[in-house]
Amino acid sequence: MDCKKIVKDALAAGRSHLLEPEAYQVCDEFKITYPQFIYVSNTEDGAAAARSIGFPVAIKVVSPQIIHKTDAGGVVTNIQSEEQFTNEYDTMLQNVRKNAPAAEISGVIVQKSMPKGVEVAVGGLRDSQFGPVVMFGAGGILIEVLQDASFRLARLDREEALRLIKETKIYKILQGVRRNEPSDVEVLADLVVNVGNLLVDIPEISELDFNPVLSYPDRYAVIDARILLSSLIQTSVSNSD
Amino acid sequence: MINFIAKNVSGLTHRAVSGKTYIYWYGYIIIYVIISLLLEKPEGMIMSAAGQVKGSLSGLFNARSIAVVGASPKKDKPGNQIIRYAQAMDFDGQIYPINPTQKTIEGLTCYPDIMDIPGRLDLIVLVVGADECVRMAREIARRRDEKGDVAGIVVVSGGFSEGGSVKGGEKEKAMLEPLQARSIRLIGPNCLGIVDQYSGVNTTFDVPPYIKGGVSVVSQSGALAASFLTWAKDMEQIGISKFFTVGNMADVGVDEAVEFLGEDENTKVIALYVEGIRQGRRFVEAAKKVSQTKPVVAYKSGRTSFGSGAVRSHTGAVAGNDRIYDGAFRQAGVIRAATIAEFFYTVCAMGKQPLPRGNRICVLTVVGGPGTICIDALQATGVVEMARLSDGTKEYLKEILAPTAVVGEPHGYVDLTASVTKEMHEEIVRIILADEGVDGLIYLNTPPPFLSDEKLVESILKGYNSFPEEERKPLLCVLTFGSNVSGLRLLFERGGIPTMEFPDVAAVVMANMIRYSEWKNAHKTFK
Repeated sequence: MDCKKIVKDALAAGRSHLLEPEAYQVCDEFKITYPQFIYVSNTEDGAAAARSIGFPVAIKVVSPQIIHKTDAGGVVTNIQSEEQFTNEYDTMLQNVRKNAPAAEISGVIVQKSMPKGVEVAVGGLRDSQFGPVVMFGAGGILIEVLQDASFRLARLDREEALRLIKETKIYKILQGVRRNEPSDVEVLADLVVNVGNLLVDIPEISELDFNPVLSYPDRYAVIDARILLSSLIQTSVSNSD
Repeated sequence: MINFIAKNVSGLTHRAVSGKTYIYWYGYIIIYVIISLLLEKPEGMIMSAAGQVKGSLSGLFNARSIAVVGASPKKDKPGNQIIRYAQAMDFDGQIYPINPTQKTIEGLTCYPDIMDIPGRLDLIVLVVGADECVRMAREIARRRDEKGDVAGIVVVSGGFSEGGSVKGGEKEKAMLEPLQARSIRLIGPNCLGIVDQYSGVNTTFDVPPYIKGGVSVVSQSGALAASFLTWAKDMEQIGISKFFTVGNMADVGVDEAVEFLGEDENTKVIALYVEGIRQGRRFVEAAKKVSQTKPVVAYKSGRTSFGSGAVRSHTGAVAGNDRIYDGAFRQAGVIRAATIAEFFYTVCAMGKQPLPRGNRICVLTVVGGPGTICIDALQATGVVEMARLSDGTKEYLKEILAPTAVVGEPHGYVDLTASVTKEMHEEIVRIILADEGVDGLIYLNTPPPFLSDEKLVESILKGYNSFPEEERKPLLCVLTFGSNVSGLRLLFERGGIPTMEFPDVAAVVMANMIRYSEWKNAHKTFK
């Protein structure tokens, strides 16, 4: 589906963020890659999905009211078997209902669990003076604690994206420390470029967060995609004052 | 260019008019742009991004006649000081004090009104109350309609949008409106105005005539810009091309100021003090273009947190407006100084010295402590590599230096110790700068009083100047006795060697020069 329509429909439904499956559809259009997933609405379909994807898998709750899924107890990773899956699925939904009683649950994402990689974060926002801006930094909870992140105005080319990545402290880890193989920084640069294009092309997106993005020696994978919307569109920053 | 203009203007009209009218306007705009590109542009006119015709700023900086509205006979009034500084400049144009109650001010014929001034009038300075400024703007518009002159005005007066009051903002708008409709440019309000050391124009009450040079200062604060010049004055650390305070930026903003100075042949380095940029994106575009030919060194104050709306994502929480400025400046090649000392000395050094071609720096010291501080600070910048002197250089230095001297331990460190003579400096500086593993040199000394000023400077300059200009590498000189050795520093400065008192500041300045050099190489435009 055309991502302009996805965004339009979400706004029309009164939502201020895209559901994760919708966010991945937007990713598709901008050549942003993420682990394979199946969107399900009950335990049985979930278990079937897990079998077809292959264990281990992760499950994540999808709700128009929940932006921070982990805080609501709506994420379980590294599920190894079908039996564990059924248990975890039900427990997770119970937790979510307890932690966020008002939240309407649209479904659950069953996604391939990814091997350990370097956690980075790629994000973007629309600044009142600078317009669409992209961010690259350390991922996971490190971003909040260390604030290891750098910014650039979108659009940007690959060379500028590489300079951005090299400014951060996490870059040293990406280069390979001790026995860890170096990460593919070039594909991360492409990801930053694509996020920049996404922000410029879809003005309804006010902020976005891909965190964590797992970085590997030959690729990357966006593990969580959060896209926030605003109906107050800034069409062109050149016109704003 | 056309695409850019068309896109922006169509963006504006798109929301306001229906489809058919929209196409009509689009066509009209394209035809207008083509015609104005084909026809000769009116002299001194430029096209803004919004497609509006604006007068060029060069009409203000190259004014041959200046009127000062609010000129005063009293020595303790800004309206008097402005006249006296205007007279003190090397300016052979006309200065017209405007004051209905006086016959002459500072020996100049006084006029009751701007309409009475005979001949062409280029620039008008307003030093009257805000309400009077609004009235004067209409008067200036009338003069333009009748006589066709007045390129622009400088509004020194405050009482406008700077206070944040609705009334002040309205006055600013009311003042701007008749001027903007006639392409008359406005600098300020609430500013010191402009100085051009080459044309001799000076509208300030705070900047006396200065040495000519390659530094131009753009500032949102008149006080800081004037202080900047004053710090550098006694020891001739910089020479000035243009001084440009923008105040409330009702019309001319920092983006346009930087763009204008980018085109100015006399400007080699731009020093920029900003508190906030209204059109961030336009600034980045302008600065990026300018940085390809000359350095823009900036100090940005107001490091407050990002407060626009509820921030719900990590990116928003980490961002903070200040960090976006960081990224934007880097993208544009603008060197952002963390402290005012760094800001000041980076501008001074870049005004006099060539850029390093690499990042390998040698520290040459006569005094141990400051040398060590300098090495620490160089390492902390993260961009500097300590130079590895060649075996030949090391052997030669050991041969001529006292046995107590330390050569290349650690890498890039040469401690001459106090036994060095002033005459030896020439050879030492020459041999180190000639080493292919060295991209820049920082020389440190206190210096002790038994070294004669003239001889020391002469010796170092001989060594430095033994290279043809295009082969020269940056040399920074740290004299830790500071202003106590101002005579010595003046000699160095006149010889083109920047001096500073603090070793860590010199290290940061050198790192800034390296960063800019790297940025410039990565953004080379091939013609």
